[in-house]
Amino acid sequence: MPRRSKFYIALVALLGSLISFLPLIFQWVNYENPIILFEGSYVIDKFSIILKGLFILVTYLTFLLSINFIESDRYYQGEYYYLLLSSLLGALVVTSSRDMLTLFIGIELASAPMFLLSGWKKGDQKSNEGAIKFFLLGVLSASLILYGFSLLYGLTGELIFSEISKILLVNNLSTSPAALLSVMLILAGIGFKISVVPFHSWAPDTYEGSPLPVTAYLSVSSKATGFVALMIILTKVFPDSGSSWGIVLVFISGLTMFIGNLSALQQSNPVRLLAYSSIAQAGFILAPLAVAGISGDYADGIYASVTYLIIYAFMNLGAFLVVNVLINTSGSNDIYEWGGLAKHQPLTAIFATVFFFSLAGIPPLGGWFAKFVVFRSLLSTGEVYGITLAIIGAINAVIGLVFYARISKIIWMDSPSENITINTKPVLLSPLKVVGFISLVITFLAGIFPNIFSNLGNASALFFNS
Amino acid sequence: MEIVTNNFEFLENGLGITLVVFLPLLSALVVALLPKKQELLIKLTALGSSLITFILSVIVAIQFDYSKAEQFQLGNKLSWIEAINSNYEIGIDGISLPMLLLSTFITVLAIIYSFEHLPEPKSPKGMMALILILETGMNGTFVALDLILFFVFFELVLLPMYFMIGIWGDKTMRSVAGLKNEVETRLYASIKFFVFTLFGSAFMLLGFLGLYFRGAKTFSIPELIELGTSGAFTGTFATLVFAVLFLGFAVKVPMWPLHTWLPDAHTAAPTVGSVLLAAILLKLGSYGFVRIALPILPEQAQAWAPAIAILSAIGIIYGSLACLAQTDLKRLIAFSSVGHMGFVMLGISSLTSIGINAAIIGMVAHGVITGLLFFLSGSMAHTYHTRDMGRLGGNMKLLPKTGGLLAFTAMASLGLPGLAGFWGEFMALLGAYNPLPGLNITIFRTSMVAGAIGTVLTAGYLLWMLQRVNLGEPNDEWKDKKLHDADAYELAAWIPLVILTILIGVFPKLIFGSTNDAVISLVTKAFGG
Repeated sequence: MPRRSKFYIALVALLGSLISFLPLIFQWVNYENPIILFEGSYVIDKFSIILKGLFILVTYLTFLLSINFIESDRYYQGEYYYLLLSSLLGALVVTSSRDMLTLFIGIELASAPMFLLSGWKKGDQKSNEGAIKFFLLGVLSASLILYGFSLLYGLTGELIFSEISKILLVNNLSTSPAALLSVMLILAGIGFKISVVPFHSWAPDTYEGSPLPVTAYLSVSSKATGFVALMIILTKVFPDSGSSWGIVLVFISGLTMFIGNLSALQQSNPVRLLAYSSIAQAGFILAPLAVAGISGDYADGIYASVTYLIIYAFMNLGAFLVVNVLINTSGSNDIYEWGGLAKHQPLTAIFATVFFFSLAGIPPLGGWFAKFVVFRSLLSTGEVYGITLAIIGAINAVIGLVFYARISKIIWMDSPSENITINTKPVLLSPLKVVGFISLVITFLAGIFPNIFSNLGNASALFFNS
Repeated sequence: MEIVTNNFEFLENGLGITLVVFLPLLSALVVALLPKKQELLIKLTALGSSLITFILSVIVAIQFDYSKAEQFQLGNKLSWIEAINSNYEIGIDGISLPMLLLSTFITVLAIIYSFEHLPEPKSPKGMMALILILETGMNGTFVALDLILFFVFFELVLLPMYFMIGIWGDKTMRSVAGLKNEVETRLYASIKFFVFTLFGSAFMLLGFLGLYFRGAKTFSIPELIELGTSGAFTGTFATLVFAVLFLGFAVKVPMWPLHTWLPDAHTAAPTVGSVLLAAILLKLGSYGFVRIALPILPEQAQAWAPAIAILSAIGIIYGSLACLAQTDLKRLIAFSSVGHMGFVMLGISSLTSIGINAAIIGMVAHGVITGLLFFLSGSMAHTYHTRDMGRLGGNMKLLPKTGGLLAFTAMASLGLPGLAGFWGEFMALLGAYNPLPGLNITIFRTSMVAGAIGTVLTAGYLLWMLQRVNLGEPNDEWKDKKLHDADAYELAAWIPLVILTILIGVFPKLIFGSTNDAVISLVTKAFGG
């Protein structure tokens, strides 16, 4: 296809993702009972509809973020959109999958295209390095998950989650060594996908090397896919061994918050900063699941985690948009060189303030409600683990503020750096503005009228009562 | 009065208070959308909206039924976040009413002052928008009757104040322990303010959640007060919750030893920022004690009262001694706030109606008087380009209007009878002399003596400040300089505060008339005495 008409590829991708939103709306409006397909392998319930909506919207926004990047150099365009759409398909499959094969295919379909996309900047050494690391660890994580699944299959002879959990319960195998080994292997495998400590080390390098829109997608959509898979497996396959994996998750969650935030404090590269920030945020998302495992109140944990995921997705996309624009404006990958950029990019500076303080959890921006539902879920049982994690979370909210506020401080308050030349060409182009405004509106809505998001979280959690 | 009650009935169902809270926010949006060049239009919009907000709050005050001041009135309850049973529940009683009026009143003056007196980088648009957002946070905190709503408003003030200090603040360099390079005062002070208060309030939120789960899964303050006064919260749980609430509120007050952010923030903030910080933001903490911590956890309040009294006494003595060591005029006033808020907290800790009444009139008086002191010192710093008291002197001769007002305000601040500052200090000591029966009388009487010594020290440092700044012969360096005395905008912002200082001093019933019944009801319900 001639270069000029490659524009149509983007258009098709954008329209395609929007149109795929329509059936979701019909499903939501006409919803009565969960639709069960393929003998229980594939289920359409409110949980899956809501998360599908999230994945489609996030991918749509990622396309908008990508248009200018992909035009800026001689990148493959058709393949780029094709791969992102494949990854989206994988994520969509994960939300509905209720058996091991479907889930595994979904997870891998979601992550395999990202190996390629993270190395899209072919000439860039860092991009290559990041992609290789990502690929190797990705394969390792896939094999861990697969190993865990094969143990389960050997133990029960079933593929469908509901059957497996029945057999585990009936035969008193829930806490058998094989079942526990299997859950740990799966946790480790998915731990790479959601980049929690100690499986996080690839994330900063890969994030730094990848093209920014891909990084944004990795930190939002890929991470969410991992979380969705984790929620489904833990609550549908291992609901009865929650007290075992719950404690492991408590430690992982607390460590992830601390290591993510403390490392983010020291970053001067904005992308690495966001990488560590998203590691820390994963700790927050994981915390309610951990406590739900111990208490057995899965609905409450899912409610908090899903609500957090939805709000996090938009504020984090917004943060990547800001970083994208500011790097292009200043030509510098060092946040300390960004002094006084608010003068040149007033709108972006406002975006930066909103998204970064929202990530820090400052009312009235959406992030406060995300943190709040997590704290609420942690304290709901009144048990020691929950209270400890809540205290760790509160301390981490304060640590996080220091580096989130730093970006705003630099661009609003610092004096301009002499080492950079300001790019006077328009950088905040209209597709980016659309992303900014959509994320801005959602961030404010989530902070001022949290009811909408709270209800979505609640609706998706209802299916985990049984 | 009749006209108001007859014509503004539609404001009674919560609409009036809602407008008082959200009109400033809406105007902030309008201001933000106006083009930067239309400076006058921006200023007039801000002034107009703050005036309307003030008038609305006065209408609310007229509609308020003072014979039922202990009840929450003129409020409403709308569904907000269903899944967690948090509602948009608002209302005012005799305790919150004076605070709300103080807040709307001071904001008008702050905006008038900002018409002409903004430090670099000027930008009235940004400043006006921030002041208005700040007002929404302050007013909202005083009317919120739902813990989560309270939390959101309580935190809403952080962002605007952070930017106010960080952008318009003091640009001189200073060294900070632990950092190699010197940093600008404003940058250090702004983040320190933010981190300290967020630290307190993050834990406070956990405390709110604790009350929610232990109580009847409600965040409603009136319902929690009913539960609390009937003894629903006891034991280790209640101790922990009171501890975290204490942390959240005490940082904001600030009580010694959590006060260290205050002198830095005050010194670095632009004049308007200091005024709003001192006059209203500090009150959010002490108001939180009276509204939430005391009535919901009465048993714990009694257990903690002696500790609060001791910390307050230390704060009073420490604040005044620190004042005696200052060379910087603004820093001196900042430390005087630590002392004055010590009196407020001493009053609260006595858990008697006298003490809590003292605390509320003390809060209002401190808001008016210290607000004025910050206006004056800020204006003088602008004129002289220094806050060093060693270089000032003979201010009465150089700037007679400002100097005269400074002398008056210092007298009010040291608690001269007949002026507003007197009642809070005097009655707080009275309350501490005779605290709630059952409290350790030795500790309270000792704190009272410490407080009394504090009043002497307060008089000492304020008179010493006056002597150094106002009296004597002007320094040679000012001889040939043209120094501008207070202009019309400044006087318009200051004179109302002077009048209010005298009015409250002579007719303390202006405040007590509203607070007394509410305070007595609080003390009777919570502590039975």
